[in-house]
Amino acid sequence: MALRSQLLKGVLDACVMAVVEEQPVYGYELSQKLQGIGLPDISDGTIYPVLLRLQKNGFIRGEMRPSASGPNRKYYFLTDEGKAELDQISAEWLEIAKPVSQLLKRGGENEENS
Amino acid sequence: MRKTAELIEENNEKRGLLNHDNEKVYEDILLYLRTDLRIDEHAGEEILMDLLDHLVEAQEDGKSAKELFGESPQKYADELIENLPSENRRNVLWFSASQVIGLTGWFAATFGVISLVVSFFRPVDNGIALGNLLLMLLSVILVAVIGVTVIFKIVRSSVFQKDKKKWQAYVKAGLYGAGAFACVALIAWLFEDFGPVIKLEWWIFLLIGLVFLAVNKLMDKRGA
Repeated sequence: MALRSQLLKGVLDACVMAVVEEQPVYGYELSQKLQGIGLPDISDGTIYPVLLRLQKNGFIRGEMRPSASGPNRKYYFLTDEGKAELDQISAEWLEIAKPVSQLLKRGGENEENS
Repeated sequence: MRKTAELIEENNEKRGLLNHDNEKVYEDILLYLRTDLRIDEHAGEEILMDLLDHLVEAQEDGKSAKELFGESPQKYADELIENLPSENRRNVLWFSASQVIGLTGWFAATFGVISLVVSFFRPVDNGIALGNLLLMLLSVILVAVIGVTVIFKIVRSSVFQKDKKKWQAYVKAGLYGAGAFACVALIAWLFEDFGPVIKLEWWIFLLIGLVFLAVNKLMDKRGA
């Protein structure tokens, strides 16, 4: 999936940071978790450009650790800057999420109102 | 932190775990990233390792490289490159200096050995004109720099093409390399000896060469 839109980029950044905040993960784990949450399209490969971007901005950092299955993996951790960024994005997102989804649902209210 | 050389070696071993189709797609991406001289080499190798680990695990779960890299691996690789840190100047300078020293080392050592071998058959004139020596070195360096840039460009443009196209690109790159060396030979042939002449025994050339090669190895090991 091409992530051309800035909006999607920002949202995806936040999702990745939120997963990493909960628990340090390595690439494959991260994609599994995102799929588990129900975001099938932004699953596998898409996370790597995001991870690189977040590292470049200093929001996450990678560290080699032995994984549960044995071999060493690069685990990603949220930095203090990342935490601040995540808090900010979350606050902004929560403010607009409800009204925007209401607006964009357009006629689909009947199924969703329950 | 793992050294870049260790990452490359581990990558070589781990690639054997991939099945034929996945290996093909992965190696295209690897070649495309490694021949991009703008990106930080260590960061590039780290993401390549991440992708390889991911692909190996995905393969065990019955997924293919296509699911990881999408329909257009080139687009995907471009997206990675866009987000990778760029190589810093210090590294580039250090690497270039190391390569020049290594090249000079080979040059001197080979010259020493050849003089020794030839001296068994006929007396050799070990005199070397410094002006020519410098000119040769400069032209070899220039040809190497331009050569690597052009050859990488040709290879990069064909990475994600069909095999036939790849072949054409490799032939083109090979011809370019041969042409470049012909240029150096031509320069050597065209210029008369100039500059002060020094006379050195074969073993001095060999010694100088070996010292330069050792310095080159040390520099590569240490990194900038």
